[in-house]
Amino acid sequence: MQYMILIYEPEDAYAGEAGQAALQDIVAKHMALAADLRAKGWMKDGSGLQDSSTATTIITKGGQQTLHDGPFAETREHLGGYYLIEVADLDAALSVARRVPVIDGGKVEVRPLAVY
Amino acid sequence: MSPQWFGQQISAARPRVVAALAGRLRDLDLAEDAFADASAAALVAWPNQAPRDPAAWLWRAGLRKALDAKRRSAVRERAVLDEPAPPPTPEEALMAADEPIPDERLKLIFVCCHPALAPDSRAALTLKVVCGLSTKRLARAFFVAEPAMLQRITRAKKKIAGAGVPFEVPGRQAWPERLEAVLTTLEIAYAQAYEDAALAGESAGFAAEVLRLSGLLAELTPDEPEVLGLAALVRFAEARRPARLDDLGAMVPPEQQDVGLWRRDLIAEGARLLERAAGFARSGPRQILAAIHGAHCTRAETGATDWAAIAALYDVLAYLRPHAATAVNRAVAIGEARGPEAGLAELANVEGMETWLPYQTALAALSARAGRKPQAAAAYAAALALSPAPAERLYLEARRRELG
Repeated sequence: MQYMILIYEPEDAYAGEAGQAALQDIVAKHMALAADLRAKGWMKDGSGLQDSSTATTIITKGGQQTLHDGPFAETREHLGGYYLIEVADLDAALSVARRVPVIDGGKVEVRPLAVY
Repeated sequence: MSPQWFGQQISAARPRVVAALAGRLRDLDLAEDAFADASAAALVAWPNQAPRDPAAWLWRAGLRKALDAKRRSAVRERAVLDEPAPPPTPEEALMAADEPIPDERLKLIFVCCHPALAPDSRAALTLKVVCGLSTKRLARAFFVAEPAMLQRITRAKKKIAGAGVPFEVPGRQAWPERLEAVLTTLEIAYAQAYEDAALAGESAGFAAEVLRLSGLLAELTPDEPEVLGLAALVRFAEARRPARLDDLGAMVPPEQQDVGLWRRDLIAEGARLLERAAGFARSGPRQILAAIHGAHCTRAETGATDWAAIAALYDVLAYLRPHAATAVNRAVAIGEARGPEAGLAELANVEGMETWLPYQTALAALSARAGRKPQAAAAYAAALALSPAPAERLYLEARRRELG
């Protein structure tokens, strides 16, 4: 089955000098994880995203589309990156997701892809 | 063949048959439907010829019906009329060979108690799928409306199917977390059954199912001391059930119950399980809780409750499971072992439990014994304001009258 692993983190955690050091550490861990997933043949896709201030949201209502500067939801944690993996089942997906590095307060969501 | 005998056979066979069907069909709904179809067929067939092995009979009938249904819907989907029946699939060929029923019960329990499901859903789903409790009965036991319970169960099943929860016994390295989820689920289920049965009568709960389920788990994982501990705990607690209410329907605390009413067979079974658990020298909260319940049961032999031993066990439990509820129960035991003032001193350290009925009950009883009438009266009033179940209400009102 294919699973999307969505990474939500408080963006301000990476601010400042200490934040940047933490970011470097976490990026290195992502590289290592991605390399391992590729070696196992589980990795379909994945990437980090630029921070949420670069987001543009298109809102459709009453047949009209309007643009909104920013992410759709005003929350502290923002979608910061994702992995798309192919593994046997939820247990395997969860064990990969547990290895996704996050900063304190980070959340990792695991969602199976819809198969039609 | 009495309807009672029939019902017993069906419910005894259920965990094994539904688990085997779920393992084969990889779909909890289909497995439940197939079991229901097989039970209906049994109602017709068994009066003519009693089956040698009811579980095996239900397994074969259920699988045949499920495969028939699958085939019919496959034919319908192709919208071909008057098509000759398709040749038997390898599965059906196997059926003809009288395949013995596989034991997939542990897998089914692990699926229903998967930590990716909400804890409340796990308990309801386990009781529904493994034990066959109706949504209506579960709704009553978990104090939610029936549509809400149905939604909870439907959602859990949908997640299992959609998210790819594997129908497997997890690898040993995953057991600490996975088995913990199973044990917590059974504890939630038993807590519901225990509360529910305090109401007694018509609403008597599903304690028998939890008794059977915990015994089943102990049989399937005989090397896990906490599993044995939970099975022992349920047996000690259930042994006292016949003595929990007096003639007027008021609650009777364990230390005042008529030991003549206790079920000695369950106490002996609990003691055997707990002894086996102790052999592994890996203690845990369920074993300690079982030991506490066991210590209450020992009064049947010795004539007196050993409160010092119970207080010492609560010391250990408070360390393993540092929760305010444990602290309240520990204060009660200390109050019995070392006097009401010592108990009140312990209770004074417990914070944020003022709206928990056992807290007010303990405060009231300890205050009364310490001769602090106004505090006792206030605590009884506070307890009665927390809308206790009828049995507890009667008990509290009687104690309050004794205050004078």
